[in-house]
Amino acid sequence: MKPLLVAAILLSVPAPAIAHRLDEYLQETLLSLGKTRLQAELTLTPGVAVYPIVAADIDSNRDGVFSESEQRAYAGRVLRDLSLTIDGHPVTPRLVALRFPAVGEMKAGLGAIYIEFQADLPGGGPARQLVFENRHESRLGAYLVNCLVPQDPGIRIVSQNRNYSQSVYRLDYVQTGMRSAAPPWEWSDGRLLPAGVALLLLARFAFLWRRRRVAGCSTCVS
Amino acid sequence: MRTIRACAVVLLSLSASLAQTVSSRIAGSANAFLATLDAGQRQRVLFAFDDAQQRARWSNLPTSMVRRAGLSMGELSAAQRSAALALVASVLSPRGFEKVRQIMEGDETLKHNERNSAMFGQDLYYISILGTPSPTVPWMLQFGGHHLALNVTIAGERGVLTPTLTGAQPALYAVNGKTVRPLGQESDKALALLNALDENQRKQAILSFRLADLVLGPGQDGKTIVPEGLKASAMNQRQRTMLLDVISEWAGIVHESAAEARMAELKADIDETWFAWSGPVTAAAGSNITAYYRIQGPHLVIEYAPQRLGGDPSLHVHTMYRDPTNDYGKKLAAQ
Repeated sequence: MKPLLVAAILLSVPAPAIAHRLDEYLQETLLSLGKTRLQAELTLTPGVAVYPIVAADIDSNRDGVFSESEQRAYAGRVLRDLSLTIDGHPVTPRLVALRFPAVGEMKAGLGAIYIEFQADLPGGGPARQLVFENRHESRLGAYLVNCLVPQDPGIRIVSQNRNYSQSVYRLDYVQTGMRSAAPPWEWSDGRLLPAGVALLLLARFAFLWRRRRVAGCSTCVS
Repeated sequence: MRTIRACAVVLLSLSASLAQTVSSRIAGSANAFLATLDAGQRQRVLFAFDDAQQRARWSNLPTSMVRRAGLSMGELSAAQRSAALALVASVLSPRGFEKVRQIMEGDETLKHNERNSAMFGQDLYYISILGTPSPTVPWMLQFGGHHLALNVTIAGERGVLTPTLTGAQPALYAVNGKTVRPLGQESDKALALLNALDENQRKQAILSFRLADLVLGPGQDGKTIVPEGLKASAMNQRQRTMLLDVISEWAGIVHESAAEARMAELKADIDETWFAWSGPVTAAAGSNITAYYRIQGPHLVIEYAPQRLGGDPSLHVHTMYRDPTNDYGKKLAAQ
């Protein structure tokens, strides 16, 4: 939707002292962190003034109904607007559950769309960094991001950092009792390379030592 | 006028029952209220103690937007309404009941300001009872509507007020020339605490990002987020006392003996309690703050969240009071 149209819609709605959300699209994310998996709940509540903008995005055939396929398609677009990285490597959020409120509730600024998603976290070292970014409807978005206290006692949160709007969230944490899930043939992370070099050198020394010993024996008297 | 009469009856019943034990007084108030109802009303006001749906049926929103169950004040006779408010008063401290009364009065003001909107007003507060009122066996009283959700679990002398939501719109209004701020102490005491912090402490307490709303509002029972801000172990004794005083604005809503036990619990946790602030660090004299703040400890989450809706965030406030380990008094019920 064009920015001018967005502005026109927002300006056309009066600002009464009423009780419901008005000119923002509240997007609340609660992260639940495990060692191998991230689970998250995303609750999206469009205000009365921004409902037409959000509805136009969901209701692709403009029939005034949010069909199941339109709901799933919208959830897919929301997930594509999220970015998730662990230790700098992107991970893909996967839709787990989806609930849409009645259209009437959304029109009134009350209805919340609920999206539950998860992402598998590849193994890593003890010190980890998760970065979550929400770019969905950034012109209208009012963002909240928080992490639940981990259920796993082997995970300790070190710090949380956000930008002013909370559209970007960085979580630093440490975890214990995890072995790297990187396969032994994967050298690119730089940690197995020294071990490999050491192994090759050891093999070379063993070969030389054996050759020298064999050579020495050929001259000995039994 | 009807409300003034009802409050007078409440005060009389309170003074008359001073000599009784808290638990028997509360159970007596509940049974006195139930005795005023007909069979149909009793059926509507009573729920099973473990009715999970009814427990969670509360909101900051008006009742026309999020339906409540139970009996509304508007459908009760004057005598029934007095008995209902007497019951609410019996589970609260006098200042807790006064806060509730002012929140309802504020909603009546909002109704007047909104051309007698059917969405607002003192008639739209609902009462319900979960379980059987008893001086010994746990039961629950719920009372709420727009900007109010009291969930009080009573077990003998003990009472648990979590989760409870308070709010106000307008959060500042005048009655007979007198200014009323239902949540004014929550605002003033927190700002005083912020001003009592030194520069380093403020750097930790003041978050660098915007908080648009409550994080653990309705529907978020039992959740605990990672705490942020300034830990009270890094405060001096005076600051910790001020923090406890802010907390008492919520912990002190329930009746005195329950509040005393709750404050003792929270005092024991104080070193593990965090204070975080987001938004403007000043407020005009006599006005509410427009900043969000959160107090979080092992058995506590308090959030104070001004709302932009209606224009001036100082005039529209939502607050949340939780014990994630003891929502709806589950620890009491388990004993």
